[in-house]
Amino acid sequence: MCFFTVNNLTAGYGGKPILEHLSFRLDRGCLLGILGANGSGKTTLLKAVCGILPHTGSCILEGTALESLPPRLLARRCGYIPQRSGISIDISALDVVLMGFNPRLGLLERPTAAMREEGLKALALVGLEGKEDSNYLSLSEGQKQLCIFARTLCCQGRLLLLDEPESALDFRFRHEMLGLLRDWLSGSPKAAMVTLHDPSLALNYCDRLLLLAEGGILGTLSPGTDSLSHMEKQLEQLYGKVSLARLTGRSGRESLVLLRED
Amino acid sequence: MMGGKSGKTRLLCLAGAVAMAALAAASLSVGKYPLSLRELADGNELQWRVFWTLRASRTCVGAVGGFALGAAGFVYQTVFRNPLASPDIIGVSSGASAGAAAGILFLSGVAAVTASSFAGAVLAVAVVLGLSALDKSGSKNTIVLSGIAVHSLAQTGLMCLKLTADPEKQLASIEYWIMGSLNGVTGYSIGGNLLLCALCLAALFPLHRQIILLSGDEGEARMLGVSVGRLRLFVLLAATLTVSSVVSLTGLISFIGLLAPHGARLLTKDNRPGTMLLSGLLGGVLLMAADILARSAAPTELPVSIFTSLLGAPFLIFLIHRQARKNLK
Repeated sequence: MCFFTVNNLTAGYGGKPILEHLSFRLDRGCLLGILGANGSGKTTLLKAVCGILPHTGSCILEGTALESLPPRLLARRCGYIPQRSGISIDISALDVVLMGFNPRLGLLERPTAAMREEGLKALALVGLEGKEDSNYLSLSEGQKQLCIFARTLCCQGRLLLLDEPESALDFRFRHEMLGLLRDWLSGSPKAAMVTLHDPSLALNYCDRLLLLAEGGILGTLSPGTDSLSHMEKQLEQLYGKVSLARLTGRSGRESLVLLRED
Repeated sequence: MMGGKSGKTRLLCLAGAVAMAALAAASLSVGKYPLSLRELADGNELQWRVFWTLRASRTCVGAVGGFALGAAGFVYQTVFRNPLASPDIIGVSSGASAGAAAGILFLSGVAAVTASSFAGAVLAVAVVLGLSALDKSGSKNTIVLSGIAVHSLAQTGLMCLKLTADPEKQLASIEYWIMGSLNGVTGYSIGGNLLLCALCLAALFPLHRQIILLSGDEGEARMLGVSVGRLRLFVLLAATLTVSSVVSLTGLISFIGLLAPHGARLLTKDNRPGTMLLSGLLGGVLLMAADILARSAAPTELPVSIFTSLLGAPFLIFLIHRQARKNLK
């Protein structure tokens, strides 16, 4: 049985479909990158999968249709990181992270001391140690994203949906964030879908890439196993003429480098 | 640092509670009919009657009503993520005014006007929330837009009622009601309202964590396990009943619901439960102080809203000024 299956998904805004009849599967431990031009439906796909957008078709995680779950149960299985969090009131970074425990708390319960400890650990994990008392609104955009990432880790879902989590991060934190995501995936059965703007990041961190255009799947590729020429051909549908090369860094780690040809 | 901050909030809340107690004592002793401790102690029946039916009930409504308006203001501003949000935003005040006007025109007695304005407020909010439920995506904007529509309808209704009113007596009472006063409050009429108000407040405070979750985007809150539509409906209904139960007794009281939460937040700089409590306390302090001035500043009773604005606006300006100076440093 597949870990996560999307069957015949159609979704859009105001009755106008943006995605039509999408189907794909995710194995456990898989990080699926979603690439596509602006407006190709990347965000719509994530929002539809977690049910924020009404849709037809079904999304099945470990045998359970996500559509059938009430918000509390859904949030325990599936975490979502929006491009930008809507938090706009003065609140400490730790309190933001503690929101992640809400699916496990009763309506009137308050986070326990153990949860506070865990929240602090999550903040330290994303590199925001010592920021727990800082006002969330005073953090930089990148730090905000890391804070929301820490919050989502506290939800302890099995499927993570991340909408351009790296957009406000600098070079170093982009790599650290995706590294964290890979570490997170290596534990118990989990999977993640992430939309990215930067194809190089996607090629080097994701197990599979889904190329979206005009509401449909243009192609898929697996950077670990596909040949360079096959991947080039696929990527050219999105980016025009490109060349792909393998480069070995000083540490011996091999990376894929994408160049645009004119 | 954490301990220091919540310690500061605790201290502020304590100061607010002490101020409320002091104002309550002052409010019990200020008024047209002079009360003396000695005669009360001697068991003077008339003195006791004045104390219970007039002073004690008025003080009670001032304290609970101010607290309720302040705390409900915190809830509205947080849920709507709008610093200008107040009970007006979902039509409470205009519904209450139209209801009161109808009560003054077609019914008689203070209790009937109270009941009718309460009904007006609840009806207006029920229509707003009902309309917004038609939008399946459940966006906050739909609630605000429905609120504006219902607000202006209620205003039109109020205008029509004013046109048909007898200008000598009824029109004056309507205008006077809209200006707000704790003058009409007596011990016979407040029990039910205060009970409802206290019940709703008792429901809102434990929900503080959920109210904060509602301040984010709908999708985000949903993915944190919040049943956004249902929870928001409950919270808004409770906040609205709180406000309706107060304004139906006192008439419109301007500014407290707006000022108290801002004041509390400028003092504590966060949105923890302590800040919600403090905004209630500030509301209580403000309303009681304004009411004491309203009945003692001039030979005749003045509308309380004059003083809530007169006291509240400089306080808010002081806090803003203080904040601006701190930011410069």
